[in-house]
Amino acid sequence: MADLPDGARRALAALEDRLDERTAAYLNACVRCGLCADSCHVFLATGDPETIPARKAERVARLYRRYHTLLGRIVPRFVGAEEVSDEALEALATAAFGRCTGCGRCALHCSVGLDPAAILRFARLVAQAAGKVPKGIQANIDLARATGNNMGITREDVIETVSWLEEDLRDTTGDASVQLPVDRAGARVYYVLNPRELKFFPLSISAAGMIFHAAGESWTLSSTDFDLTNYGMFAADEAAAREFAGRIVRRAEELGVEELVVAECGHGYRALRWEAPEWLGRRLPFRVTSFVELMARYLADGRLPLDPSRNAERVTLHDPCNLVRHGGVIEEQRIVLRAAVADFVEMTPNRLDNYCCGGGGGLLAASEHAAARLEAGRPKADQIRATGARIVAAPCHNCIDQLGEVNRHYKLGVEVRTIAEIVADALRLRDPG
Amino acid sequence: MVPPTLSSLVLAGALLASALAFVVMRARLGRPLPAPFAEPRGSAAAGERWALTAAFLPWNKESARHHLPSYAAGLLLHAAVAAMLVRLVWSLTGRPSPRPVELALAMLLAAGLACGLALFAKRALDPALRALSVPEDYAASLFVGAALAAGLAACLDARAIPAFQWIGAALALYAPLGKLRHMVFLVTSRRFWGRYFGRRGVKPAPRIPGEARHG
Repeated sequence: MADLPDGARRALAALEDRLDERTAAYLNACVRCGLCADSCHVFLATGDPETIPARKAERVARLYRRYHTLLGRIVPRFVGAEEVSDEALEALATAAFGRCTGCGRCALHCSVGLDPAAILRFARLVAQAAGKVPKGIQANIDLARATGNNMGITREDVIETVSWLEEDLRDTTGDASVQLPVDRAGARVYYVLNPRELKFFPLSISAAGMIFHAAGESWTLSSTDFDLTNYGMFAADEAAAREFAGRIVRRAEELGVEELVVAECGHGYRALRWEAPEWLGRRLPFRVTSFVELMARYLADGRLPLDPSRNAERVTLHDPCNLVRHGGVIEEQRIVLRAAVADFVEMTPNRLDNYCCGGGGGLLAASEHAAARLEAGRPKADQIRATGARIVAAPCHNCIDQLGEVNRHYKLGVEVRTIAEIVADALRLRDPG
Repeated sequence: MVPPTLSSLVLAGALLASALAFVVMRARLGRPLPAPFAEPRGSAAAGERWALTAAFLPWNKESARHHLPSYAAGLLLHAAVAAMLVRLVWSLTGRPSPRPVELALAMLLAAGLACGLALFAKRALDPALRALSVPEDYAASLFVGAALAAGLAACLDARAIPAFQWIGAALALYAPLGKLRHMVFLVTSRRFWGRYFGRRGVKPAPRIPGEARHG
């Protein structure tokens, strides 16, 4: 061990100290039956045995066996155990960051009943300890640490953009009472954004504003600590993940809100709804909800007057993995879309069995894996094409980016939109007069 | 009272040592998971129950649905292994079991052995599966196959019982060391899996807003 380079030594320490009992149970339960292969969109797209979930999980299982099992120490080749080395860690990082989005589809279909995605999350942790996080993901972490959000957007930029959007919204609706409130203490809802919305997709903020307005909600945006993304989670860098989630939690507490509503983003929802309380080691004093859930609640309460004929084109739905398989938000988006569009058609398979877009797990930020990412989008492209839909609703900005590329690459000729944008188009706003 | 034979004493010792090894391994498995803080969306207990029962059914797993012959062979193999272990423990009593039971057991063990060999062949012949395999995968299959064959012989002829017990003892001692440990960690694994997806409202059935929970 004394001869190991620093990265390998840190990886070995992570392997020793950071392994939890759940992941260890999974590592001990896999029998390499290979039946998980066709649950994985990457394997379906490539047919490469290296992309079978069990094979990818083996990258870290081999290291585990070498240091945690008797046979691994005595007869490593016999049990497929492997020493920690730079080469082994490179292969592990490629498998964990470049060939797995952590979508969890294999977990739901593993014949043994284990979660290969959880094993690969641990593989990411080991790779992260070794300093092998893809540069793009690490750059987003560093920028978020330095500026408060992963795109380096300043407080002034936020205020200016929102102010412009508010003005535009008032012109469009002809309703001077429409507001996009910022930093309003005492609001009931704190709505957190993906910084990409401010930079590239401002209409999704306008759409949310229209929906809040129609529902008569007391809500606010924030000019600081608004970034719902968490590249720390993607990198399995728990310190960074805790820091990013902690900022939003602190801001929500400062604003005194009852509910933290996460804009349409799969991993952001998972990070704040499910992981943040564990990272922070406490219960949160407010409810954490996806905007999709909130829209479904508004509909149930009769607070969203919708006219589905305003969305006449055929719409299909993409299920973001972190929202659905890891988040449990499965039916709400369907309830909302059925109320908002005239022709809704499901993909096959759908819900928990829907395929990953191919860009999850931070892969969109890892440019070194761009070609593999597009290739992995093929099962999704096939699913979309089979629906005959003109519009793909995707309640996740990360998925939207990937689906946009998949759309161009596979020449699908569809439009990819958030659910809020579709709902906003169907809104029958009250006459402002 | 039948006086114990050397092979039955060794088998009893091996089974105890194996059980003890599994208890120690479970206790030292990894960092204990703290109690979760996130508000549950579903029931961890319901997820765990589902993972240990209905999740085994082929229509609940795509991997089983798409690979029914492998699923059926695996099921039969594992049923035979369980029966073989019961027969092995029964052999410690030194008492013969009723002939019809022995014959039924023999048929199950023969079927399990055939399935085990078929799965062994599949592992050796399928290029993707071969790429995934390590030498121990083949060795463990052969080891289990030998134990099933010895059990089969013991069911048909009591004179084979000492050999069955020696092989059984070796298998019991080997089980915690290699991939056969999945026989215990499968249950542990399923319990963790069920709690995770149950708590998040993913399994056994997603929550439908406005409706009572089902499933």
